[in-house]
Amino acid sequence: MSTGGLAQFQQVFIEESLEGLDTMESSLLALDEGGDGELVHTIFRAAHSIKGGAATFGFPEMASFTHEAESLLDEVRGGKRAIDKPIIELLLRSVDCLRGMFDRARAGQPLNDSASDGVRGELAAMMGRAAPAGTTPARRAGDQAEAWIIRFHPHAGMLAGGNDPLRLIRELAGLGELAVEADLARLPALARLDPSECHLGWSIELKAPARREDIAAVFDWVVDECDLSIEPKPSAAVTPAAAPAPASLADAAAARGTREANAESSSVRVAIDKIDGLINLVGELVITQAMLDTFREEFDPSRLALLQQGLTQLARHARELQESVMGIRMLPIASVFNRFPRLVRDLSQKLGKQVRLELHGEQTELDKTVLEKIGDPMVHLVRNAIDHGLETPDRRRAAGKGETGTLKLDAYHRGGYIVVEVSDDGAGLNREAIVRKAVERGLISGGEGMSDEAVAELIFQPGFSTAAVTTDLSGRGVGMDVVRRNVSDLGGTVTIRSKAGQGSVFTITLPLTLAIIDGLTAAVGEECYIVPLVSIVESVQLKPEALKTMPGGGELFRFRGEYLPVLRLHELFGCTGAKRAIEDGLLIVVEGDGGRVGLFVDGLVGQQQAVVKSLEANYRRVQGVSGATILADGSVALIVDVAGVTRLGRRSKAA
Amino acid sequence: MAKILAVDDSASMRGMVAYTLRGAGHEVTEAENGQLALDAASANGFDLVLADVNMPVMDGISMVRELRTRPSYKGVPILMLTTESHTDKKMEGKAAGATGWLVKPFDPEQLLATVKRVLG
Amino acid sequence: MGSKREHRAPATVEIGLPADCRMAAQTALLADLLVALDAPATQLDGRAVERVDTAALQLLTLFRREALSRGCAVSWRGASATLREAADTLGLAKALDLPAAMPA
Repeated sequence: MSTGGLAQFQQVFIEESLEGLDTMESSLLALDEGGDGELVHTIFRAAHSIKGGAATFGFPEMASFTHEAESLLDEVRGGKRAIDKPIIELLLRSVDCLRGMFDRARAGQPLNDSASDGVRGELAAMMGRAAPAGTTPARRAGDQAEAWIIRFHPHAGMLAGGNDPLRLIRELAGLGELAVEADLARLPALARLDPSECHLGWSIELKAPARREDIAAVFDWVVDECDLSIEPKPSAAVTPAAAPAPASLADAAAARGTREANAESSSVRVAIDKIDGLINLVGELVITQAMLDTFREEFDPSRLALLQQGLTQLARHARELQESVMGIRMLPIASVFNRFPRLVRDLSQKLGKQVRLELHGEQTELDKTVLEKIGDPMVHLVRNAIDHGLETPDRRRAAGKGETGTLKLDAYHRGGYIVVEVSDDGAGLNREAIVRKAVERGLISGGEGMSDEAVAELIFQPGFSTAAVTTDLSGRGVGMDVVRRNVSDLGGTVTIRSKAGQGSVFTITLPLTLAIIDGLTAAVGEECYIVPLVSIVESVQLKPEALKTMPGGGELFRFRGEYLPVLRLHELFGCTGAKRAIEDGLLIVVEGDGGRVGLFVDGLVGQQQAVVKSLEANYRRVQGVSGATILADGSVALIVDVAGVTRLGRRSKAA
Repeated sequence: MAKILAVDDSASMRGMVAYTLRGAGHEVTEAENGQLALDAASANGFDLVLADVNMPVMDGISMVRELRTRPSYKGVPILMLTTESHTDKKMEGKAAGATGWLVKPFDPEQLLATVKRVLG
Repeated sequence: MGSKREHRAPATVEIGLPADCRMAAQTALLADLLVALDAPATQLDGRAVERVDTAALQLLTLFRREALSRGCAVSWRGASATLREAADTLGLAKALDLPAAMPA
């Protein structure tokens, strides 16, 4: 294990084990709900794989911990023990402990801690014994002799099974000089011989001192496939000897000492069919390229149609390749959803609420980076829904609803986006309470005339949530504004729909990937800017009289019953040659975490996909710009940071 | 050096085995379940097969049983990569036609020693 | 490979053992040997053998024993070191009557 190359498999082992732990957890939860016995096998297999790998990859503490859990599972599997709540509870905590151990393994810290020691003790206690001290069982001492006679008669099928006496006797010769005598008595007639069957036997004298167990070890794979006797040579003296073999765990422990510090390099496991798809596409691309190549030699105008056809194919291949390559980064959202059964169970028990969790669209795929970052906001939304949304059983009864509330997680594709919904059938937002709170916090002066939508938006305002309005469960000092900012950092949006007495739906809309965005290309003077499609609400052309100029110079326009600030991109970015009259240009209404604003541009050039290049990595951070891309003509266009400009817009509105 | 087929659904275990054996100069083909292993075995001749027991799609035991029905795989060593808690599985593997086993956990040295032992 | 036919008494059957003489090759070898049982003399050529197993040596041992019992002659044109080492290990060198070293 000290070899650098092998460390990569340790990393793979950690990743697959964490997946295995997720499987164990979800199966345990399903079992808790009365799932069938096959689940026990699934859980056992997962534990078993972790145990085997842990010892192989130099984590003996983890192997011995998992061994305890596995033994308990084995008793359940074998019908020696009925699975019940306390066992499920204990196994769930074992899963937690193992996750902790893997985290510490990644950080290069000691694997055991008081929690894992405690749970390990409980596992052992449940099986009615003390936790083993991690020793290996002593081997039975073998006796020793100065010389041995070994009689060895393979059964007919032994050769076909891959055990060749030639190899066994050679191995035996490693113990000392041999005198080998073959027994030909059982050979059949040649015509009746099946060459794959063995009809020979041997009587072998080992003319050197050896321990019985060392001789037996040579035949360890074939004890059930031969008649074997190992006897001290009669004239030789027999002396008992006890020399237990040294434990081999020390090797593994030593190996861990030299283990490289695991930089958490991230990797993606890709299904083979995705790779095959890519290879196919590349194959087609090569064919098309070869076809186009023929035009290099001679271009005959009569072949124009063929050229056009080739170019069309090339475009198609490029598009398909792009989709396939992006697909490699795509993983099902199930890995995030799978966290929630446990969370919901623990939380609802703690709060005395009855919650049924429904998961939909778990196979919906999204970008690995997005996937890794969407977990926290979702946890917050789920905590919030259980804490504030869903009512206690008696309250639900009083409201004429079933005692058990429903929490639904749903993921699906819509256009080029992923939509993730967290919905509950609880009490819904309490308009009065929100308005009261917002007034208290100085966010608004009063709720009169505000639409329900606008009131709901208040919960996303920074400073709305404080420790005073959230319990320790959903709060943790984090408000909905942080959820919105997290989602916005991923290029997404979060909105809420709520109906008093019927529940709330939080909708997160995310781009499929962070590497490529769909955008509208807008002309501003001599330059082009890309506005991400996900944040565009509408494009409108204003008449001059629709524009209101504020005393401070800020401009507002009315959009769907609400006054929105106008941001002139040419002013923001200092572009020359741009249109100035409001009726000559276009307002793109965008929505970001600062609310809605109208971006004033000269006009729209078109819609396109833009490969995002980091401006920060290549130049420096620029306010109002989230990145850059290269246009078809080779020029560079900047991508508008909608979240950033809407924040600017809010400030200008306040001014 | 020998042509070896390594079969395990665990990418880490399979990777470790293949990496170690390649390091010793062997030519290693990898398969992630019994079915894929059978496909590989049809296309190539192997001197040794190393197979995990518990795998999705087709487990190691069924794979060995199927492989042994093929004349070209009679007598070819097949080792099961197993764990000590599975004494029954060891014997089940043997009954299906396996040559022997390598008990998990094993380190690269143990793996190489066993492979050397079985290849003679 | 390795099957050499020279101008000798036509009654002598010559059988060349393949380089890989392990189990998979033996169904064909058995067929050749069964034919050879009917010949007055058989010459085996083991010079090309690089890989061999117990099954092969069992087959050859049985062939030689059966041929001799029928009064047929069995001789060796030669045997590779691999073949001789395997026969020694299995205690079959005498039964096979392998040449001690490769003849000229």
